[in-house]
Amino acid sequence: MPRKYNIEVSPAPPRFPPVGKFVIERSAADCINCGRCVLTCIHSVHARLDEDLRRMAEPEDYRCKGCFRCVQECPKEALTIRSSDEYLRLGDSYWTPEIISKNWYQAETGKVPVSGAGYLGPFSGEGFDSMWTDMSEIVRPTRDGIHGREYINTSVDIGRKVPVIKFDAQGRIVSPLPPTLSVPLPILFDTLPFGGYGNVYEAVARAASFLGTLMIVDPDAWFNKEYEANAVPVLTQSALEDSVTACKMAELDYGSTVLGAVEELRNANPETIVSVRVPFGDTAAEIAEELTCAGVEVVHLYADCNGKQIDPPGPGEPRLLKDMILEVHRQLVARKIRDEVTLIASGGIAIAEHVAKSILCGADLVAIDLPLLIALECRYCKNCHSSGLKCPVSLKDVDPRYGAQRIINLVGAWRNQLLEVLGAMGLREVRRLRGELGRAIFFEEIQRETFDTIFAKEVSYNVKAGN
Amino acid sequence: MSKPVIKLVHSRFPNEISAVEVTRATESCISCGTCANVCPFGVHERKPGHNRISRPQSHLCIGASCEDMSFYCVNHCPRKALSIGTNQNYKTIGDHRWTRDLILGTWKQAETGMPLKGREYEIGDSGGGFDRMAFKFLHARVTDAIDDDAISTEIDLNKRAGRRICIDVPFYGGGMSFGSISLSVMLARAKAARAWGTFTCTGEGGFPAELQEYDENVITQVATGLFGVSEDTIQRVKIVELKYAQGAKPGLGGHLLGDKVTAEVARLREAVPDSSLFSPFPFHSVYSVEDHEKHVDWIKEINPDAIISVKVSTARDVDMVAVGSYYAGANIIHLDGSYGGTGAAPEIAKKNIAMPIEYAITKVHECLKEEGVREEMTVIASGGIRTAHDAAKAIALGADGVVTGTAELVALGCVRCGSCESGRGCPRGIATTDPELAKAVDVDWGAQRLINLYAAWRSEIVMILRRLGMSSIKELVGRYDCLSYEGQSKGPRRGI
Ligand code: SF4
Ligand code: SF4
Ligand code: SF4
Ligand code: SF4
Repeated sequence: MPRKYNIEVSPAPPRFPPVGKFVIERSAADCINCGRCVLTCIHSVHARLDEDLRRMAEPEDYRCKGCFRCVQECPKEALTIRSSDEYLRLGDSYWTPEIISKNWYQAETGKVPVSGAGYLGPFSGEGFDSMWTDMSEIVRPTRDGIHGREYINTSVDIGRKVPVIKFDAQGRIVSPLPPTLSVPLPILFDTLPFGGYGNVYEAVARAASFLGTLMIVDPDAWFNKEYEANAVPVLTQSALEDSVTACKMAELDYGSTVLGAVEELRNANPETIVSVRVPFGDTAAEIAEELTCAGVEVVHLYADCNGKQIDPPGPGEPRLLKDMILEVHRQLVARKIRDEVTLIASGGIAIAEHVAKSILCGADLVAIDLPLLIALECRYCKNCHSSGLKCPVSLKDVDPRYGAQRIINLVGAWRNQLLEVLGAMGLREVRRLRGELGRAIFFEEIQRETFDTIFAKEVSYNVKAGN
Repeated sequence: MSKPVIKLVHSRFPNEISAVEVTRATESCISCGTCANVCPFGVHERKPGHNRISRPQSHLCIGASCEDMSFYCVNHCPRKALSIGTNQNYKTIGDHRWTRDLILGTWKQAETGMPLKGREYEIGDSGGGFDRMAFKFLHARVTDAIDDDAISTEIDLNKRAGRRICIDVPFYGGGMSFGSISLSVMLARAKAARAWGTFTCTGEGGFPAELQEYDENVITQVATGLFGVSEDTIQRVKIVELKYAQGAKPGLGGHLLGDKVTAEVARLREAVPDSSLFSPFPFHSVYSVEDHEKHVDWIKEINPDAIISVKVSTARDVDMVAVGSYYAGANIIHLDGSYGGTGAAPEIAKKNIAMPIEYAITKVHECLKEEGVREEMTVIASGGIRTAHDAAKAIALGADGVVTGTAELVALGCVRCGSCESGRGCPRGIATTDPELAKAVDVDWGAQRLINLYAAWRSEIVMILRRLGMSSIKELVGRYDCLSYEGQSKGPRRGI
């Protein structure tokens, strides 16, 4: 059994007050400073003014959970709760305010977001929102991973797996064994879409090194030999610099000459695992097949930030990450070559469930980008990369140690959620989750099995005689 | 069936949240009292001995529909000091599943015991499942001839050999443990259950002594932690529920945070105060239908007359689990979907693990039919039944009846803020064991609110049956043809 991997988290409070969901307004004209609201609020939103205890301080409304108790108990009806506009403006339709703020919470505390009152959201949606994971019940044992009573292994191997191993008469392995690399969790760090400041890179690199995972990085943007052990440089095909090829793994962008470059890199560094970055597009499945057949050991398929296909943007609606992963996985399975290649999926991995669902659909592991910045309090306001405005959380001033802790906390909380899902399914290894479609419930399928059948029966009913 | 008495019970909070806000511009108002004289609903009042008129009681106002009335206060005020608008707090409250109107509507029903009219009180905004279904009423066939009491809402909880258990309404209260909710809430639920000839369930947290007088109307739960389970409690009740999973966190065990484990909670659970309590998942003694059968036999050994309910969540193979439970000897298969629950559940579980209850009901109903055992099994659905309409839809999809949970808490004043699990627990004194917070709910007040809610639900169900031309709720089971389904809305993306 491998050494028990566990992510130590430690609280890292935000540098700026987070954007809360609610705004509390206290009408100064009505309030009689009775202090009732201070007593009623269990989330310490209300307090008296430190410098003048006769008066009330501004409510710290980012902590408000919207229980309405203070509103309903204020003797003068002086309080009102409204949804915060600033909160509603966070992110975009994919990176919703809930996603951003829940990730902040996890980066701060390292804890899995837990709440009562059941599920509050929509029934289903698109992409990852159109599937559910399965669980075990009665006749299939579950595992209890989250509380540490049963160990669930989240490590994955990157690199080519040989289909058969040959031994000689003495029992020695004679097949050539390609290099493989094991990472303790199926989450890599991808190149940053923006916010590429030195300290941010350093925070990411520190976190990668602490967690034992890999950081994919463009060496032109940032490279530090100190973190070489965890770095995966993205090399341009023409310039395979020696300084960075000492890494355990390197990536090359897909192009017509990529196979030559792979060969060249292999010859220079036989121990380096080579991954080819392929933009998710209409032909991703064919490309993945072609590369696998040509002996490429890792294919990294990337979508855009919102998990949509990149290349070529075909007619009609762009396809989504979930469906693209499924398609590539299914094609490789059909060709019986799925086990020869490691698939990394990235782009639009925004919350912990996306990790589990990507793997369920057939990826070996995922790479995350924007969540790394969100961990550092990024609001995804796009100020920095579209309008040149000032970053509201001053990303370039984040202390790398502190930043690394926030990223570690986020990843720790995500991994715990992955354990929850694996435990519920009774799986003891994340490797067994890959492509385990029998443990997925797809909206279209279940809809067909149930509602499409029963609501097709348009028999009209008869009223009983006498009624 | 003797119907319990409905009484008007107001919210326990002084400032009621309502859709309408009546504003009086204090600088122009001369406290002439005209508005108090014209409004027939008591929105305006000048208390005896007061010079100034009191703050308007907005929640009593009928809103825009008053504009055409002769008594419309806005028109009568000599200083034009009054205006009618939408309340800001009302705009803020609610979520996709429980919209503001569903919350306020449930409050209203708990207050008055009367059903409400309007689609906003029937469905939520989740864009799928129950929220995209409607009854196909055949207006021509509405049977006004039948009077309300002649329409039966009774269901049998045991269809196999053994003791007959019939409840007057097609719903009963779901398991909420002492520890997750306060004792007064538990007692209020039990009182309401007794009044309506139905049941409430202890959940996995033991059977507080105060609950004993309601034995006839209590279901006790045997769950994976076996907290508070004793032979005595199993012998005292008519129905024992074996909880294999719970919809709010399918596949995961129970978890009561240390803060909520007060001395009293710990005593009942035979545990140590202040330490978090985990119920493991699953029953580590059950890995097959045969093991499951042993469980059922074990309960029947202790209490041979007990009716056994098996509570499961909606795994992909839930239909096979239901069939297995039948062969193991269970009487009730209780499907728990993922929309409910007061317990601490990680978001990832609530949203993603297992299928929505709407699908599970039909799958189980069809599978039991195919197996030829549907007539002997009682199918109960829970975890997302917000309104009487949801209940009726669940029945039309193939359930015999439903279990309520969150709806009861909302009747007691829950706003769905999701803080139930936190430190001291529910700020509104419902899902809490904090003695200070729990004082907020008075047993008689709570019981009457629930009695009223049940009354409203029953009237609503009777109305639905009447409009479908049916005289008993039993006729509605599995009548897909009574429902129309609009298909999935393209609506909002699912949030977290
Ligand atoms: S309860 Fe109301 S009146 Fe009292 S201090 Fe708070 S806001 Fe002011
Ligand atoms: S609504 Fe609740 S959480 Fe928010 S400030 Fe008021 S009492 Fe506190
Ligand atoms: S609008 Fe009508 S119901 Fe509302 S307060 Fe005025 S008179 Fe009363
Ligand atoms: S904590 Fe909030 S959601 Fe939970 S029972 Fe109380 S009011 Fe309802």
